[in-house]
Amino acid sequence: MQRFNFPVVQPDPALEELRSELQAFLKEEREAGNYRPEPECWMASADPEFSKKMGKRGWIGLTWSSQYGGHDKSALERYIVTEETLRSGAPVGAHWIADRQHAPMLLAHGTEEQKLDILPRIAAGECYFAIGLSEPGAGSDLANVKTRAEKVADGWKINGQKIWSSGAHISHYMVALLRTSPADGRNRHVGLSQIMIDLSLPGVTIKPIVDLSGDAHFNEVYFEDVIVPDDCLLGEEGGGWAQVTGELAMERSGPERFLSSYITLETALWQLSDKMGSDSHARLGKLIANLSTLKGMSWGIANLLSQGVSPETEAALVKDLGNRLENDLTQQVRAMLNDLPAEDWSPDMRRIMNIGVLRSPPNTLRGGTTEVMRGITARQLGLR
Amino acid sequence: MINTEGMVAETATKIYTDLCAREVPHEAEAGKYPQALWDALTENGLPLAWVSEANGGFGADYDETFGAIWASAQAASPVPFAETLIANWMLDRAGLAPADGSASFALSGHTPSADIPFGMHADKIVLFDEAHHEISLFDNRAAVRSPEESLSPDGMTQFIFSGHVVEQSAKTDISRRAIEALILTVRAVQMAAAMETALNLSIDYVCQREQFGRPLSKFQAIQQQLAVAASECAAATMAATQAASAIARHADDPEQAWHEAVIAKVQIGHSVEAVTEPFHQVHGAMGYTQEYDLHHYTRRLWAWRDALGNEFHWSKRLGEELALTSPDQIWKGVTTGDWTGGKVVAS
Ligand SMILES: Cc1cc2nc3c(=O)[nH]c(=O)nc-3n(C[C@H](O)[C@H](O)[C@H](O)COP(=O)(O)OP(=O)(O)OC[C@H]3O[C@@H](n4cnc5c(N)ncnc54)[C@H](O)[C@@H]3O)c2cc1C
Repeated sequence: MQRFNFPVVQPDPALEELRSELQAFLKEEREAGNYRPEPECWMASADPEFSKKMGKRGWIGLTWSSQYGGHDKSALERYIVTEETLRSGAPVGAHWIADRQHAPMLLAHGTEEQKLDILPRIAAGECYFAIGLSEPGAGSDLANVKTRAEKVADGWKINGQKIWSSGAHISHYMVALLRTSPADGRNRHVGLSQIMIDLSLPGVTIKPIVDLSGDAHFNEVYFEDVIVPDDCLLGEEGGGWAQVTGELAMERSGPERFLSSYITLETALWQLSDKMGSDSHARLGKLIANLSTLKGMSWGIANLLSQGVSPETEAALVKDLGNRLENDLTQQVRAMLNDLPAEDWSPDMRRIMNIGVLRSPPNTLRGGTTEVMRGITARQLGLR
Repeated sequence: MINTEGMVAETATKIYTDLCAREVPHEAEAGKYPQALWDALTENGLPLAWVSEANGGFGADYDETFGAIWASAQAASPVPFAETLIANWMLDRAGLAPADGSASFALSGHTPSADIPFGMHADKIVLFDEAHHEISLFDNRAAVRSPEESLSPDGMTQFIFSGHVVEQSAKTDISRRAIEALILTVRAVQMAAAMETALNLSIDYVCQREQFGRPLSKFQAIQQQLAVAASECAAATMAATQAASAIARHADDPEQAWHEAVIAKVQIGHSVEAVTEPFHQVHGAMGYTQEYDLHHYTRRLWAWRDALGNEFHWSKRLGEELALTSPDQIWKGVTTGDWTGGKVVAS
């Protein structure tokens, strides 16, 4: 018996044309000085101008229909775009979350007006979303959310606080997990709902939090008597927990879980070229073996997702392995660079390596911590 | 996933289920060779799976034969099934008839002797002589056989080629890399299967064994250790499956699958420590006994990790080759599995 479901799927040569187009575009942008490549670009590197350019080229909203501004393409084509933008460390942070997470959510649960209004703007790279799950008292224990939405005559009244909301300061909306009825003492998963909140509404206050790399990409978000219309409830009232779990499976298996720091390796490869010693060769060989294996696993899941199968445990496995690899990659590349005298490192190499080190702690936290991922796996193994 | 469907895989699985129950590997280690198991495999023609029909075999798909190898490793096969498959495949690639009986293999050319896996039990030895592009068949029964130090219960002997009469020999156009690709892939499949079987043993054990009034499985520290091991096992199966499918895709030219095979060897070799440590840890003292099954798998994993070059050797070889290509080609390999564009002349 084989325990996990990871089909081996050969890459599709028909997708390679799209890859070449992206590579050409990204090279041109980078060489024109329109961005400086960075690790963790999908989180911390946001540039609305760049997002609009991606939108114009048709590289956001690939998967939804043209009726809503999308491009009727497959999830696998979207995967290629994701890979190539990560590889080149492009500033995709503004539109990333909306494209990945909230557009599919709106397609599933939004009203026709919302779809017609919001989805084309997301696809154009002009409308951004923040994830409103965490609260000061609800981190790994997400069912402990306290922020409330109370039914009022013309909609919902929201009070409370979210934290660590990536990109909220530039986002137009947040989809928040909120308590819409009290927790049942035995089952804390009931009474939670997902509500879409327009962040420009009165009563919303957004305060940036500076992280240890000096960026301020995540935020505290406060809600004080914020009123949203009825149709901002996404999905079922009280169905928030199940919806969030489904969403997380999609969030955890993508290439951003193991390629966020690839730019560090690639920059070093250009630097080192023929100066690599045998120790570095061994490190490179191991990294590439790990990357190819994870690509196989993640691509297998992408294919399952495109067939409507959502493998939660496999996604948790990929996230755990991938996050470990991302952090290992930065460490291994640091060691490989011992083959070059420090004064020979290019300024870009120095900058990218430093960012890579400073941005490594979140890999194993955001999207669910390593310990939580292992808990999901343990349940699948029949241990819990 | 390794393909365990199809006639070859299903026949092998059935034979191993029927004739290689839990006690068989134990008895084999105590000196009782499971002849009935070997005979059943032979009667069904399984060791000829990779021999072409023209040569008396049945030219089975690579794919389902890997499923048969998976089953043999799960059962801790104490007979040289995978070794004979490889040896017969080598003979076939030189147009030679398959070995009469069981066989093992050696890659040589420059050295007068080689380490032979399963050397105590193999009837024949097939040698690939790289320098002369020759494949030769030797009689192992006629040789002086004494066991060498080996981590594996399957054992290993030394064979000194000079002074032995070649039974058959022929030129081959197959490259060392093609042979490496197949052998490393077979080992990768065996290792992934052994890891998964040992994982299953560990899960069963912690669910049954109680301490402090509850099953060990309810302790988070135990859950987390096995979850990490499970992720390594899943990665090992993926790496082995990617290599197996590359061999199947390039059936006419296995050299084309060399990168995937090496990737699997590197990925899995590095995982051995990450899985054998927790497996033995969660079993407590029980896992350290001869009587219990775990060591059938962990000892083979430690042996296979070193066989034909350890994880450092292969990481370095892969890295050396990649360093000669461009970063663009490396990216292409990772994303599309196409490693051939930057192909370097074989060493
Ligand atoms: C860069 C970054 C961006 C983020 N972006 C967002 C965002 O956009 N939206 C959002 O909602 N959230 C976001 N988060 C928050 C993220 O989801 C949380 O950090 C994460 O879920 C962990 O919660 P916590 O930080 O409160 O840690 P805690 O839950 O307090 O955990 C601290 C440590 O204890 C461990 N632990 C906790 N519970 C257990 C347990 N039961 N068993 C064993 N160990 C346990 C954890 O694994 C961790 O190691 C972001 C975080 C980061 C770092």
